[in-house]
Amino acid sequence: MTNDKFATDHLLSSTQQKCLSALLDTIMPAAEDGSMPSAGKMDFLGFILAQAENFMPALVQILDQLDEKFANDPLAARVARLEDFARADKKAFNRLLVRVYDCYYQDDQVRVLIGIKPGPPFPQGNTVEPGDLSLLDAVVERGQGYRR
Amino acid sequence: MDQASNNDPVDVLIIGAGASGAAVAWSLTDTRMRILCLEQGDWTSSSDYPTNGKNWEAQQTGAYSINPNVRGLDTDYPINNDASPIDVVNYNGVGGSTILYAAHFPRLHPSDFKVKTHDGVADDWPVDYETLDPYFAENDRMMGVSGLAGDPMYPPKQPPLPPLPIGLVGETMARGYDKLGWHWWPSDSAIISQPYEGRDKCLNLGPCSSGCAQGGKSSTDITYWPQAIRSGVELRTRCRVREITLNDDGMADGVIYYDKDGRECFQKAEVVIMACNGVGTPRILLNSKSAQFPDGLANSSGLVGKNLMFHPVSVVQGVFEERLDSHKGPLGCCILSKEFYETGKDRDFVRGYNMQIVRGSGPLTTAMQGHASGTIPWGPGHHEAFRKRFDHVASIANLCEDLPEECNTVTLDPELTDSNGIPAPKITYRVSENSRKMLAHGLARGREVMEAAGATEIIETELVRPAGWHLLGTARMGNDPKTSVVNAWGRSHDVKNLFIVDGSIFVTSGGVNPTSTIQALALYIADTMKKNLANLFD
Repeated sequence: MTNDKFATDHLLSSTQQKCLSALLDTIMPAAEDGSMPSAGKMDFLGFILAQAENFMPALVQILDQLDEKFANDPLAARVARLEDFARADKKAFNRLLVRVYDCYYQDDQVRVLIGIKPGPPFPQGNTVEPGDLSLLDAVVERGQGYRR
Repeated sequence: MDQASNNDPVDVLIIGAGASGAAVAWSLTDTRMRILCLEQGDWTSSSDYPTNGKNWEAQQTGAYSINPNVRGLDTDYPINNDASPIDVVNYNGVGGSTILYAAHFPRLHPSDFKVKTHDGVADDWPVDYETLDPYFAENDRMMGVSGLAGDPMYPPKQPPLPPLPIGLVGETMARGYDKLGWHWWPSDSAIISQPYEGRDKCLNLGPCSSGCAQGGKSSTDITYWPQAIRSGVELRTRCRVREITLNDDGMADGVIYYDKDGRECFQKAEVVIMACNGVGTPRILLNSKSAQFPDGLANSSGLVGKNLMFHPVSVVQGVFEERLDSHKGPLGCCILSKEFYETGKDRDFVRGYNMQIVRGSGPLTTAMQGHASGTIPWGPGHHEAFRKRFDHVASIANLCEDLPEECNTVTLDPELTDSNGIPAPKITYRVSENSRKMLAHGLARGREVMEAAGATEIIETELVRPAGWHLLGTARMGNDPKTSVVNAWGRSHDVKNLFIVDGSIFVTSGGVNPTSTIQALALYIADTMKKNLANLFD
């Protein structure tokens, strides 16, 4: 998560920037109880340029289908608009969705909020409970179960 | 054709550096023969595996996808799956599919080698469990296998390392099985639970199926191969075999392959061993046509490429109110149940299936799968639905025994080719009626277990498409040359210096992940070759 929302703002026009922000906040609005930030709080453009640059033209194409009205609409109206888009071009919408989710759930603060460690899995790793193997007593008591 | 200077004749040429190629290469080093392995892929580096980065989940859908058609690397060959409800998945490189496998490492059961005797279907194997037992044990030691002795569903065996932690997922599911009075046991896993042979133990990263950055997972690039190479085996990467050639006596005399620069080369050899899996092996044999074998090498039986067996998989996923820490720990190695593994007289199918408990996914996969299933929406409601599911799920993968049918085939695609112009394999496969009944039975029983374990929501998947890991039966072994491709120790009936050691020689599939048995067979075949060196071709 970053306060400097779009370090790469110059790549998009002012309208496109507004639409992107609204688009992200529509796909992943903040949690009602305030426990989770919205996707608009992420540096999505920076993420795309760093990790999925080949998606940039498709993103611009999506943004160009939107307008300032979309950016200013209330959430319910934006959701309805995106539902139309998802129905009309499921593939394009899914490509957008996976990148929004990917960006969001890579964010270290988000990862902590959902209960996992920040950063990549390696080399930190995880601790897993050994589990209660005395539960096997009943299995052993039932005896051999294989055929020769 | 280029005859490079380093292409001096070798005693033994192994095609493929995966699970079986590594095992047979290591075992044959005792002989001090000159051994060369040609591998079409590269070495992989643990520092390149996805879990080194925060974007590890996205990488699983790209360069580290389990599907070669998605990876699309030069080192891969495309596979036409259009006529199959199950997609072939694999990895091409040193270590083969052990690089991306989940490392669930059960052995076939004694009864799996005698299905005709027990159940009147398919055929018995020409070898049995007791014969392979010492090779299973040797392979467990070489790979580094963790598990718990005493499973009443097997004859006595002692994994070299203690079991992996079963975690909250395993314990929760175990309580469900106990409530029903059904079998369960910690999985045998080719993942080390303690430091072993210079490798550090598993860190419970989670996604074993994109390569293990820690090296805790026992892929053959870090188990067999270092030892085989130290003992003198030459492993040549980026060398893709096109065909096996014959001399005037009808014996294999070498292979034609393309090197990393695309040059066509010839490698002469006294013995050729195929270790290319149940799709790659028939592909090369069918592409090795000659006047003597117009339908493909070693194919007088007409069975090369036939009897393809997968393990059809259905999945039952349970959502639990309590947090299970599902994303922690080896994805596919937790506990299993063999309650329905052996044929049951009260069921409408023969043979059986393994219930493999699978842990949960990372957040991106959880969100996207939730989107696909309609259980986690985008927009308002996402966070609440996500919170209920992420780290709150456990799954049962019902891995069903697939019986051999000649209509299930690997053939050469008439149009599709790899980057060297070699015809790609085409898969023609249908799920049999017996397997469908087994899949459905597994769904119903899986639902019972989930309910007993306390799941509040249950989601079923009737058949998993990207589940074609286990490629079996396409050059089956047997005593009769008319009904099998290789004999009881992997030697071609037709070409006496051609051996096959991969999953294509399986007579039946069993109902468990086959890598342990594939490698035990490879060690057994190597040992038999060593014992018969003086009259190997008689």
